[in-house]
This record gives sequence, structure tokens and C-alpha cells, in this order.
Amino acid sequence: MQLEAGSSVRTRTLWEDAWNRFWKNKLAVIGGVVIILFFLIALVGPFLAPYDFREQDIGNQFQGPTANHWFGTDALGRDIYSRLIYGARTAAIVAIVSTTISLLIGIAVGAAAGYARGRADELLMWLTDVVMSVPGLLLAMMINAAVKRPILARLDEIYQATKNPFFLNTLWLDFALLFGILALISWPGLARLVRGQVLSIGRTTYVESARAIGASPLRILSRHVVPNALGPLLVAVSAGMGGAIVAESALSWIGIGIPPPNASWGIMLRDSLQLWRSYPHLLIAPSVAIGLMSVAFTFFGDGLNDALNPRLQQK
Amino acid sequence: MTGYLVSRVVRWSTGLLLVSFISYAMMFYGAGDPILRMFMDQQGGSIALDEQALTAIRAKYGLDKPFPQQYANYITNFFQGDFGISIREKRPVLDMVLFKLPISLQIGFAATVFSILIGIPLGIIASLNHNRWLDRFIVSSVVFVNAIPIFVTGPILLLLLVVTLGVMKVPYGWKGLFDSQIILPMIVLAMAPLPTLVRQTRGAMLEVMGEDYIRTARAKGLRERTVIVRHMLRPVMTPVVTSAGLILIGLVNGALFVEAIFSIPGFGQMTLQGIQQVDFPVIMATVMIGTLIVMVGNLLIDLIYPLLDPRITK
Repeated sequence: MQLEAGSSVRTRTLWEDAWNRFWKNKLAVIGGVVIILFFLIALVGPFLAPYDFREQDIGNQFQGPTANHWFGTDALGRDIYSRLIYGARTAAIVAIVSTTISLLIGIAVGAAAGYARGRADELLMWLTDVVMSVPGLLLAMMINAAVKRPILARLDEIYQATKNPFFLNTLWLDFALLFGILALISWPGLARLVRGQVLSIGRTTYVESARAIGASPLRILSRHVVPNALGPLLVAVSAGMGGAIVAESALSWIGIGIPPPNASWGIMLRDSLQLWRSYPHLLIAPSVAIGLMSVAFTFFGDGLNDALNPRLQQK
Repeated sequence: MTGYLVSRVVRWSTGLLLVSFISYAMMFYGAGDPILRMFMDQQGGSIALDEQALTAIRAKYGLDKPFPQQYANYITNFFQGDFGISIREKRPVLDMVLFKLPISLQIGFAATVFSILIGIPLGIIASLNHNRWLDRFIVSSVVFVNAIPIFVTGPILLLLLVVTLGVMKVPYGWKGLFDSQIILPMIVLAMAPLPTLVRQTRGAMLEVMGEDYIRTARAKGLRERTVIVRHMLRPVMTPVVTSAGLILIGLVNGALFVEAIFSIPGFGQMTLQGIQQVDFPVIMATVMIGTLIVMVGNLLIDLIYPLLDPRITK
């Protein structure tokens, strides 16, 4: 097919191509829709929820789904539907913040290692491997045990000295620890990924040629490295967000995540796991929520990757 | 080859030392006075003791020495097998480990074998039916399994099998590797590495399928089965084995939940109790051993890798 000057055939950019491919992947699209709904609920849901997440109604404990309480009530008579909505907000915050932190660390370490090579690369990769080798739960439990107590004691001291009620509220510490722990567990994977991308893309002939004709590192980075690295990175980020939500539930189940009475899906799961044999609806709501978001993020990420880096289809 | 081996061992050993140092420092400065903790009653309130007695006890356990010396003592003791005395249970941590670790290792081993026997064939089948119904079904099921937290699938399976179907009684405690009671914990624990295995195998198969030498093998007229087993499996094993590190981590983490749910007195349960009771020696031992397991696994992978892919010479 010959393109003459002034012909009316329009070229497609990478992004348009990717968008078209993405749309064809039904599961990924559904995942994307679910994710958008999730963030919407996280943003505005609590303003529209029928009850506050702390509102107790002891007279009406353990109710199944009723007109007043669409998903029933829990052990303290709190509305499960509302707690799910507030939990979505918690989950969204946890997912975004921890993934962002681990992304920043991972990209910094991975890019530095991939670019520098040699001794610096070996050192950084050694560090990455070491952090990756400590099982995540053990790391989480240890940091929680070692870091939380002294800080709480310090805050208590300050409160005793100043009697300023500002120092009574320690919820921020639980959140900060949770973000830190989740980021600490996931940054090595991202670092390895980024390093691999920088190394492999840097070796390609088109990057070599670009360097040969004098393209600046910035141009090489933006025109060649970023678009190619984006695919696996987006998959990792998407999976990371889903993983963060599941990890928060695991940590809350052990008792070192978000503390009660706050509404997080992990806390709701923990509360339910004592009594679910008698009241299964307690277990179903949070587990469906967690499972659904994890699946949605996974499919969405996979779809993004397939759209940006299509593998050759067999037959 | 020996140079490679030595360098890997050095690498992982120094890594372990770094982990030990940071853990010890964190526990030392953060976990509170172990002597006070030793004399706490069950509810956590402290029993009054005069300062002289406390100082004497501290000296006896070497806890009045400066941090570097305590750390050095701990490390030398650790590598001679002395993990200290559990503050709560007042017996050597080594005894606890020797009793509980084999239990977890057995369950972990059973779960791994089960996972491999199911996961790799599933991955192969999925890749052979790429983008058709079977492939999508397998991938979706595996993603669903991965999405539901392990401490949810456990109780749900328990409910299904014990209450609804009445197929078995509630598994409780530990009766040995070959008791049928191990089946449910093993299946639940196998859910951790299974998705990784299936996806890695499937991905690797898809990559290999388009290679020229596979086309040559088929053109030579070899049976499909021969092509798969003799020519495709070996390059496919490389990324699968590489992900064994991840799988090990998943097993160590998952064992914690499985042992808690099924009341199995294993290493995971010891870890959980150590943290809940802030038992300094137990926490150190569990972190060290957990990390050691993963590092040994990674070391083995480093050693097996050149055997699988002779192109790796460095």
C-alpha cells in the first residue's frame, strides 16, 4: 500500500492502538469499570451511606439483610452496608498511598541500578534481594512490635507533659505504619522490574541508534524507555493495588493493621471469622468486596499490558 | 563454577547477617525490657520487684552489656544452635523450633508437591488452548483463588466439608504427615503457590511455543507429546524455578494462617505467638529462620539455574 503525499490515511499512535486493543478485552474492561466504581464509592460513598460506621444499635445485633440494613448488622448492631462503603474508602487510601510509596522507592532503586550497572547495580540488587527474602508477614509483625510501642510511649509522655488532646489520637500512627509496611514489602518487586526494563530497553538497537545520532538521555527516556516499560509497570501497579487491599486484610486479621472500631474490610473480616458459622452474612460481605477488587485489579492490569505490549497470537 | 557457588553463598550469608542486625537492633530498642516482661503475669500487669533483684537478673542474662556486645553474643550463640530462652515459655527456643519447624516443613512440602502436580499441568493445558474457553477458564479460576485471602478460603472449605457435606470432622492438631487429617490444611496452603505456578508455566509455554526449534521438531514429525516433554518443558522450567523464591515466601506466610485456622502447632503458630507475647528470643529466631529458609531456597535456585539454562555461565 503506497502512501502518497497528501493521502488521507491517518496514522494511529501507540495510545490509540492500545485503546482499541484494550476495549476488545471484555474482562479487562469490566475490571476497569469496577475499579472506577470503587474509587467513586471511596470518594463520595461515605456522604451517602445511610449510617455512620460507628453507629451502634445493640438491640439489633446480627440481623440478616432487612429493609433498614441492606446487608444486615454486625455484632455491635452496626450497619454492614455502610461499613462496607467506609471500608472502600479505607481500602482506596491504603492501596493508593502504599503503592505510590513503593513505586517511588522501586523506580528510584531500579532505575539507578539499571542505569549505573557495575558495582552500584550489584549493591542495590543485593539489598533488594535481602529485603525480598524476609517473609512479608514476619517483617510486618516485627516492625509493628518494635516501632509502634516506643512511639506510642513517646506520644503518651508528651501528652502527660502538655495535656494537649492532640497527642491522644494515635490512629495516624496505625495508618502510617501500615503504609510503610506495605510499601516495604512491595518495593523490591518493582525495583527488579524497573531495572530489568531499563537494562533490556537500553540494549535495543533503536536506543543505540538514538544515542548514536546524538539524542539526549531525556529524549531517549521519554520517547523510548517509558512507552516500552509502561506495560509491565502498569501491570505491577495494578496488581500491587489489589495486593495491598488483600495484604491489609491479612494484617488486620492478625491484629496489626487498621484497629477497630474503624471500618476496613480487613477488620470486618476479622470480626466475622469468630462467628461466621452462626452468621455467615458477616463473612460474605467483606470477602466478596476484597475478592472482587483483587480480581478486578488483576484483570485490568493484564488487559493494560496486553493492550500496550501485544504478544503474538497463536494461530 | 565453584567461584559462582562461593559468591552466591557469600552474598546470601551477608544478607542474612544484615537481616539479623536490623532485627536485633529493632527488638533491642523497641520491644521493651525483656526482664520486666518475664515477670509479667498473664494479663500483662507487672509484678513489683526491687531494683537490686532486677539488676542481678539482668547481669545474669548478660542484658546489662552494651548493644554491640549483646548482638555479637547473640550471633555467635545463634550459629552454635543456641537461640536463647523463651521469655514466656521459659524453655530453650531451640527445643521449640526443633519440635515445631519439622511440622511446618512437612505441611509445606506436601502443599508444594500438590501444587506442582496440579499447577504445572494446568499451566501447560492452558497454554495449549491459548485464548480458547479452557485457557480463560483456568486463568480466571486461578485469579479468583489468588484473590480470596487464604484465611477466608480455609474457614469456607471447613464449613463446606464439615458442616454442609459432612465429609470429614474438623481437623485439629497434628497427627503426622500421612494422616488423612492433613489433606485440608495441605489444600488450603497449596492455594498460595498455585496461581504463581500456573501463570508462570503458562507464560513460559506461550513464549517457547513460537520458537523456531519447536517448529523444527514438529516438522521432523515428532509426536506432540514428545515435542512438549522433551523440548518445551526444559526452557519452561527456568522461569518456574526462578519463581520458587516467591513461592517459598508465599508458603512461609501462608503457613501462619493455615496453622492458626487448623490449630496446628507449627512454626507459623510459634511466630504468631512470639509476636503477640512480644517474646524477644522467639521473634528473633522466627525472623532469622524464616529468612534463612527463603535464602536457602534462593541459593538452591541460583545453583540449579545454570543446570537448566547452560547459557548462564557467569
